[in-house]
Amino acid sequence: MAQAVVNGLLIGGVYALVSIGVTLIFGVVKIVNFAQGEFVMIGMYISFFLFTQFGMDPVVSLLVSMPVLFVIGVLVQHFLIRRVLGLNDLPQIFLTFALSLLILNLALMLFTANYRTVHTSYSDEVLHLGGLIVPVAKLIAFVVAMLLSGGLWVFLHTTDLGKAMRAASQNRDVAQLMGINPNRVFAVALGIALALAGAAGSLLMPFYPAYPLVGQVFVLMAFVAVVLGTLGNVIGALIASLLMGIAESLGIQFIGADSGLIVVFLLLLTTLAVRPSGLAGGRRR
Amino acid sequence: MRLRGRGGIALGVGIAVMAVLPLVVKNAFAVDICIRILLFAFIGTAWNLLGGYAKQLSLGHAAFFGLGAYTSTLLQIDFGISPWIGMAAGGVVGMLASLPIGWLCFRLRGPYFAIATIATAQVLMLIFLKFRDFAWGAEGTTIPNLGNAPLMMQFDGKAPYYYIVLCLLALALAITAWVERSRIGYYLVAIGEDEDAAEAIGIDVPRVKRNIYMISSFLTALAGTFYTQYIYFIDPQTAFNFSVSIEAALVSIVGGIGTLWGPLIGTILLETTSALLQSWLGNSIGGVQLTVYSLILMAVILWKPTGIMGYVSELTRRRRGKAAGS
Repeated sequence: MAQAVVNGLLIGGVYALVSIGVTLIFGVVKIVNFAQGEFVMIGMYISFFLFTQFGMDPVVSLLVSMPVLFVIGVLVQHFLIRRVLGLNDLPQIFLTFALSLLILNLALMLFTANYRTVHTSYSDEVLHLGGLIVPVAKLIAFVVAMLLSGGLWVFLHTTDLGKAMRAASQNRDVAQLMGINPNRVFAVALGIALALAGAAGSLLMPFYPAYPLVGQVFVLMAFVAVVLGTLGNVIGALIASLLMGIAESLGIQFIGADSGLIVVFLLLLTTLAVRPSGLAGGRRR
Repeated sequence: MRLRGRGGIALGVGIAVMAVLPLVVKNAFAVDICIRILLFAFIGTAWNLLGGYAKQLSLGHAAFFGLGAYTSTLLQIDFGISPWIGMAAGGVVGMLASLPIGWLCFRLRGPYFAIATIATAQVLMLIFLKFRDFAWGAEGTTIPNLGNAPLMMQFDGKAPYYYIVLCLLALALAITAWVERSRIGYYLVAIGEDEDAAEAIGIDVPRVKRNIYMISSFLTALAGTFYTQYIYFIDPQTAFNFSVSIEAALVSIVGGIGTLWGPLIGTILLETTSALLQSWLGNSIGGVQLTVYSLILMAVILWKPTGIMGYVSELTRRRRGKAAGS
């Protein structure tokens, strides 16, 4: 039981990176990014190739995957998302949805559906802490994920650009009147969100296989976490993600190996049924 | 008036061509493509009732497809009941399932509605994967082949399947045409434009959405039964496949969302493209079809969100405007 909680908490840290990205984009740009999971997948493949080609440690390759995905984020904002801002639901939903399909199927064509794994020196190592087994790779992922989340929080609250992003998420029109350039803020938000997804991918690589469909699991997790926490709220998404990780892990422990996702979805649907008022962001846009 | 007459002639010719097609085309591959086109046009037309007119962008129609498929197959294999009856039963099951699903998902709007519908379809798939004593689990099952047994919806050639799905499509189009002309159609469009405003002018929004969701799910479930009978196989992955949900929305958007003929036009374009790609590249590379689909979808969204039908009506309007001006 305690072991399952630890496992869930550790993987929840990685979910948090994905959820924070989704919630950041939603908060600032008011768009739900269906393609967020595919950017995790890109991060994983970057780390996989850097490891197999140059022997670079996946955690170190974060230094490559994050900037690459930041740039992709800025490009996605500039060439795609900018063009559907202010339009109705249909283009906003289906643009990122189409992007997700496109990246996923391109990956399928380029890399095939095979599972790719990376075996690092610490992939099998575990720590024994008071009767609990803590896998080192997951622990590293968790710690780095928390550092990145904390870094983002500090960025949003102390820097001018971070404050501008929070202002734009609270009221876009007023922010614009205060001299904040929305396009620049949106580009940075997309960049950061995708960089976090890339980081999640790199951190997963030592203990999680990369395959084209891998992102779908993470993006669904992220949606649930984002809906459970308040939308657009970074801390809410973080806490909800950790809880989701634990819920999934307990589901696997008590119902069966393939039941983690059932628990997650049921959690989402029960939340919708019991506490629709908690989903204020989902009702009003 | 003249235009309407011309439209009537076009419709008559279209129906005649569709009716004799399997008599002329003997190539099994070509007939198979025609069946796929009609099937997905049917599912798209069903989706369009909810997604196109009321703008409730569901990405979980696979739920009803799968329920229809499993209902008729369970009835056939466990009780020996003909899939013809099973199809109707599956439709009713799908329709009833839309009540709790709609109760949950209609609390949400826009992207959250879409996400919630994805979740319901996925939960159903996971349930059918998990509980193997109930419905064969992940392995699925084949439908016993009885040779030529029309009463059990099994036929020697492909032509009868073609006519069945043609009738289904005609049914869905007839329902859509009726909805377009009736009061509920105007309610749906009003809801699609602005839900709050529709509520404010006295439309019972939850009821209208519930009713159209029931019709849409009923039709989608019929498609599930047909598909299982056509391929003689069922498992949770095919029955609740996410790509069914995707394609239902995709053909409508590409063809023209909220129009009678949009889903059919969209399916003809997408499925023909896919068939050409397949015969050109072969089946060897996975992902080609959806890569092309997603590019088409992006292009439509960025340049013509009203789809092909929107573009056509714009052209006609422009031509008419010119004629009036001169």
